[in-house]
Amino acid sequence: MKNKFLNYLVFIVTLCFTNITFSQNSVTNTGGLVTTVQPKIMVIPYTKDGEDLRTVLEEDPNKRIAITKIKEGFDSRGFTTVDFIAKLKAAKDNNAFTSDNQTDIKSQIIQMSGADVYVQAEVIVDKGGSGNSVKLILTGYEASTGNSLSNKVGESGKFYTDDFNKLASKAVESCVEDFLNVMQAKFTDIVNNGKSVIVDISFDAGSQYNMSSEIGSDGLPLSDQIEMWMEKNAFKNNYHIQGTTDLRMILDDVKIPLKDQTTGNNYNPNKFALELFKFFKGLGLQPAKDIKSNTIYITIK
Amino acid sequence: MIPHKKISVLLFVVLMITTVSCSKKTLPTSEVNFLSGNDGTITMRAMGSGQKQEDAINDAEKNAFNVILFRGLPQSEQKIALIGTNESEEIEKNKQYFEKFYTQMRYKTFVMSSIPVSNFKKQNGGLKRLAIDIKINLVALRKDLEQNNIIRKFGF
Repeated sequence: MKNKFLNYLVFIVTLCFTNITFSQNSVTNTGGLVTTVQPKIMVIPYTKDGEDLRTVLEEDPNKRIAITKIKEGFDSRGFTTVDFIAKLKAAKDNNAFTSDNQTDIKSQIIQMSGADVYVQAEVIVDKGGSGNSVKLILTGYEASTGNSLSNKVGESGKFYTDDFNKLASKAVESCVEDFLNVMQAKFTDIVNNGKSVIVDISFDAGSQYNMSSEIGSDGLPLSDQIEMWMEKNAFKNNYHIQGTTDLRMILDDVKIPLKDQTTGNNYNPNKFALELFKFFKGLGLQPAKDIKSNTIYITIK
Repeated sequence: MIPHKKISVLLFVVLMITTVSCSKKTLPTSEVNFLSGNDGTITMRAMGSGQKQEDAINDAEKNAFNVILFRGLPQSEQKIALIGTNESEEIEKNKQYFEKFYTQMRYKTFVMSSIPVSNFKKQNGGLKRLAIDIKINLVALRKDLEQNNIIRKFGF
């Protein structure tokens, strides 16, 4: 009798302890409501040869106006963008720039900002006898893959005015809505067909394995094992192999879902990398994983 | 000997079939053209037909909305359809919304102006038709579609 009571007590205490330990924090618990993680978008100016991305906005008010108007377009759709100037300032304060190469500076700012999508705005001022005009080239890219999301050219039309700020503003107005519509169509495609990640699989210098090592219970070459796994696990069987050598395999476009298909929770490259990690472990390999933005690096020891 | 009554019925049926076959068909059209647009509005010229002028105006307005929602309008900022090109599927999916939108004429709340610009008259011997210039509040329409989960908000 006493033993039975003791058993019940132990059971209840264990249950309470487990619940408290593993339950979601009451402060952050939303009762199963999942909000989709939105992409981070940053609008940056285009720089020509000899221009510095860090100073180009200070020197050219037309570019500042164009960028602000583009951000306004995003705001009008209820979307908040990452502020380029604020990120630039933070990067300067942290001495984040390790080189003076403009390509490096651009990629460093994009990487530091954590932007998933960046929009590049090129402002072209055209002065002529029949009036002045401003043209705008807007290009939206997925930061991780470089895939183009939307492209538009806007024109202010020719006017007999020197108010280039107003012309820049008109050029943006002429194309920003269309630009956002195309971008939204691409986002909808991502929701339906998954987002792209890059998977880079290589070997440690001292590794005894390579891509043709016959491995696993069925003794198939490792590259084929990887492809078979991708076939099953890439979202809607959608993946693209850029190339395979004996020491490396690059999948430059692997689609992963935005939401976990079973739980409905947000899904991200980390979770996909974990699945990949488990797969290599299952083959009896010793993998190491590293994730930078939407690129997954797997190194087999 | 075929009775006269039977011949009369047969003739009547043949006459009816001929009349129906040769009558002018009224097919749904999207005679809607872009006029201008800025700052979240779009102005179009749309054709509509009907027994009365009021019916023709309503028809033209509905045609304009149909084009914006299910076709997109070249030359405008809404080149892509706001909802999608498969209108029967979209309307079926959101029956309640479109019942209110079209049958109960909720679409009128997005019309900023609707001005007849042609005479209400028969064209090619068919139904009476007229043209209107209609200005639509595109921002409000998009917001409404987003709030009612007909289209996705900007982003994922």
